[in-house]
Amino acid sequence: MPLLFRDCFAKRWLALATAALLGGCSTQVIVEAKFPTPLVEPLPVSVGILIPEELYNYIYTEDVPEQSLWTIALGDANVSMLQPLFKRMFRDTRSVDALPAAGATTGIDGVLKPTISKFEFDVPVGQRDKFVEVWIQYQLSLYDADGRSVIDWAVSGYGKSELMRNRQDAVQKAAIVAMREAGATISTKFADQPQVKSWLGEKGHAATPGAGPQAAAKTEAQ
Amino acid sequence: MQPHQGQDRRQLPKPKRSDMKITHFAAIALVAGIVTGCGVTSRVEPYKQGSAVIQQGEHVVVLARKQHANHEAEADFVQCISTALSKGDKPIEVHASKEFEDKMYPWFEPSTAPLTTDDLSHLFERPGVLDQVRGTGVRYVVWLDGSTDRVASGGGISCAAGIGGAGCMGLAWWEDDSRYDATVWDIRELQSEGTIHADVKGRSVMPAIIIPLPFISHPQAHACRDLTKQLKQFLTTPEGYGGRPVDAG
Repeated sequence: MPLLFRDCFAKRWLALATAALLGGCSTQVIVEAKFPTPLVEPLPVSVGILIPEELYNYIYTEDVPEQSLWTIALGDANVSMLQPLFKRMFRDTRSVDALPAAGATTGIDGVLKPTISKFEFDVPVGQRDKFVEVWIQYQLSLYDADGRSVIDWAVSGYGKSELMRNRQDAVQKAAIVAMREAGATISTKFADQPQVKSWLGEKGHAATPGAGPQAAAKTEAQ
Repeated sequence: MQPHQGQDRRQLPKPKRSDMKITHFAAIALVAGIVTGCGVTSRVEPYKQGSAVIQQGEHVVVLARKQHANHEAEADFVQCISTALSKGDKPIEVHASKEFEDKMYPWFEPSTAPLTTDDLSHLFERPGVLDQVRGTGVRYVVWLDGSTDRVASGGGISCAAGIGGAGCMGLAWWEDDSRYDATVWDIRELQSEGTIHADVKGRSVMPAIIIPLPFISHPQAHACRDLTKQLKQFLTTPEGYGGRPVDAG
């Protein structure tokens, strides 16, 4: 066998063996789901939605001792959760690429930028634990029409799922529950934040206590 | 050769009648031990405080209580109750749990779901919520709370393999406890109609004499059957129901 051919053969085997080893020690989860549109009253404001690239392509990796290298892709799920959520939460939304500059006429009342600040998960090793758990924390940054920060609001979601035969499925289900939970908090508690209340007041909506899901309920009850 | 074999046979001691009795008795005792060791005990306590009866065109939705960190009614169990209610004798129209949660999102998520009927009445004051519920046709919500847990286990089985063959020897056992509460809310009248409590214990045994023989009990399946039977009675019997606990061996 010629030496060059033997070298190529050996390299190919080495590459295959490395790939097999890496493949055998890694677990990949692509979180995909359809999220429902929330049943809330829209706030009477026009908001620009700035979804950064890192949220679209969010991938979490962690080398879990005694298990494997986990890779969890949340990008698609983030988009399908946040888009209908924001569309329903505000009277009018539009996608923007950047924060508004001071004094610029944009025709919007503010810009909302969501990011993921934390992600954690736990897959039990022992037989007595039967739940996979996922924690996710979004950071919602609201800016006014001049690009000034109104609020940086951390919203957490927790989800768990029974550990069945397929660990990836259980992680995916727990992640979806955690995202739904975070979405529920965003859609029901956003208008309750004091800074958001005063921002709404500055926008001339202070006299409209019916804005937002919580206040809307109070108005109807009166 | 034949006479020798005949001689050998004659030399073997005949089993005594008393020895045979002991062997039979031991075999019966072993089988009885396994059969009685593997079994299910069930206790169902229904309590109905209202007189609600489901009418034609009204639906039921079965939901799991998800507020607890360490236990939660399993998705399979919720599905089992939903399916069993909609089939068999006196079938009830059941709305799919996931579909209901999606239609009512975000108001039936773990952090937002009403814990009391007062919370439910506050929830219905929110714009659009009551209309959405009416659109589903759901009149009764069955909240399932509880789980199936392993409460005890013991024994052990050893297996070995060699050139001549392989085999196992020993005895393993375990006990699972399925405890569930099904609380029925009437969402039109905004009141709790009552609760059915089911506690089903199941002991499984696995003796191994060369081959392991599993005798597995399924307390969760029993709990599903018992709760469904009681729920059907609960939702179709107006009065005089839920007087005393129901025991089953």
